[in-house]
Amino acid sequence: MIDLAWNERKPLENLFFLFTLAMALVPFAIMVILFSFLIYNAIPSMRYSGFGFFTSYIWNPGMLYENPVLVHGVLAPYRSSFGMLGFFLGTMITTALALVIAFPVSIFLSLSLNLYTPQKLRKPFSVLVELFAGIPSVVYGLWGIIVLEPVLLHSIEPWMKANLSFLPGFSGEIFSGAGIIAAGLILGIMIIPIVTAVISESMASQPRELKEGVYALGGTRWEVGKSVLLRNTKRQIVGGTLLGTGRALGETMAVLMVSGAVVNVLPSGIFSLTNTMSAQIAAALDSAFIDATGMNISALVELGVILVIISLIANLAGRAIVGRAALRGYEHD
Amino acid sequence: MTETAAAAFVRSRGKMESRYRRRVFSDLVVRVIGYAVFAFMIGLLLLIVGDVALRGLAGISFGMFVTVGNTSSGGLANAIAGTWELVGTGLVFALPVGVFGALYLSEYSTRNTGGVLRLFVDILTSIPSIVLGLFGYLVLVIELNMGYSLLAGGLTLGVMMIPYIMRISEISYSNVPREMREAAFALGANSMQLSFSLLLRQARTGIMTAVLLAVSIAAGETAQLMYTALFNNDYTSSLTHQPVAYLTYVIWYSLNQPTQYAHALAYSAALILVASIFFLLLLSKYVERGR
Repeated sequence: MIDLAWNERKPLENLFFLFTLAMALVPFAIMVILFSFLIYNAIPSMRYSGFGFFTSYIWNPGMLYENPVLVHGVLAPYRSSFGMLGFFLGTMITTALALVIAFPVSIFLSLSLNLYTPQKLRKPFSVLVELFAGIPSVVYGLWGIIVLEPVLLHSIEPWMKANLSFLPGFSGEIFSGAGIIAAGLILGIMIIPIVTAVISESMASQPRELKEGVYALGGTRWEVGKSVLLRNTKRQIVGGTLLGTGRALGETMAVLMVSGAVVNVLPSGIFSLTNTMSAQIAAALDSAFIDATGMNISALVELGVILVIISLIANLAGRAIVGRAALRGYEHD
Repeated sequence: MTETAAAAFVRSRGKMESRYRRRVFSDLVVRVIGYAVFAFMIGLLLLIVGDVALRGLAGISFGMFVTVGNTSSGGLANAIAGTWELVGTGLVFALPVGVFGALYLSEYSTRNTGGVLRLFVDILTSIPSIVLGLFGYLVLVIELNMGYSLLAGGLTLGVMMIPYIMRISEISYSNVPREMREAAFALGANSMQLSFSLLLRQARTGIMTAVLLAVSIAAGETAQLMYTALFNNDYTSSLTHQPVAYLTYVIWYSLNQPTQYAHALAYSAALILVASIFFLLLLSKYVERGR
């Protein structure tokens, strides 16, 4: 809103203008550097693995003490093989499970916040939801390992296996309590705050007159919820869910701790151990450093590039739908 | 047999009543489910926080605050100091970028340039934390030869903090009324005086809120730091080429150690971290309310 032309300002003012411009360009610069470095470092892996990177589920660092082999013009450890399918499926399945848990909870949480909670309690309750969002990922992982996994292992999963085995995928061996269910549950709990925040805020911003109109016609609170709150916030509900999806896709530490972090395994049922793209990067990077050809690192970077693309799609779509105003700091993983 | 008017009235009334009952009943069902979900969430929060608090308090000792440790023995002093060193380094980088970048977005940018620059801020928030860590490793640790260090870890955290500070600052600037700007110009203020004496001053609670929020979230991050700050069994005094300890690493790593003491360390670290984060978040709420 400062709209003086360049020559109307003093030199110092122009310097200050350039400084603010430079600061505003920093995110752009970081993104350019980030993407160019990631893609540059992923090229050896793309040449080595080719399309097989997407179709194989075998992730083998290779024999690092043998002489490296030259394949498609790049050096790679002998017998190494990199396929992302297992991690990709793990990411998708755990995210889907997280959404199945978080979506209804967030809808009902937002409805009860906006319809049934007394005015006085709304603010404290929304602060409570924000505290939920503040709990670090590792602490969720800690709770998942120490508290959740034993319960899953000894009570819930055996019960599910005994009583729900008619459903597809509810069979197979129960391992350690870690795995798809644990990861999906933890992810679901973690994304509830952001999904709820977006939906609840858009419900709260619905015009008073619409709600009063329904009440004046003798509508119950649920009818207000149904015909005003839910009907008019469909877009934000979709957008909030997409933002939650984006967060679940990129979540690392909690999933690394409770998924079982397996490699070379495709999920065979809901009790399977699993692994995700982000968790695999975190878990495999330090052993990748000892690979002198750098191919292990390159493969993990390629995994990162694909993860970024998937999570960008979910996040930007969600953001485009919701708009910027409804967001305030819940969105980062 | 024809129905009398009275009988028709009674029948339609009965229908209305049963419809009314159905409507009230469905309202009750939604209300009960809503309350149940709410109670479930509060219960869950108490369960998680309570678990951390109880087990943390059981294992924590004063010695942990003053002695350095290596995730299986010793204390947490190096991790506590390192956490705040990393967050502080990140803030030193992110604060000017966020505060002055937002000034450009709110005051100077046109619709189009502002839209493009904001898009990149949005893209920045969408990058998963482990990918930011990978970026920090490739660019800062290796390419710029910082080694595993305070600078590499802090800058990586800073990248994550920028969007929070920038977005909330921008909203705070644009909330300054047009009349106040006009008054400033009428008094002969130039654009710099306007920025420093009016906008930054008016936006200071918003910026405070943003900083507290960004700090509380950065303090709980792990994935960005694993391969940029690594870990250090002692205090860190150098900006580069010296790894840094931090609390989230202790939580993650000590849990894999087989001793009871290591688990006590993990829970103590979790307790200290969650307590600090909750304190910062509530403080940011308090500051925001004062606006």
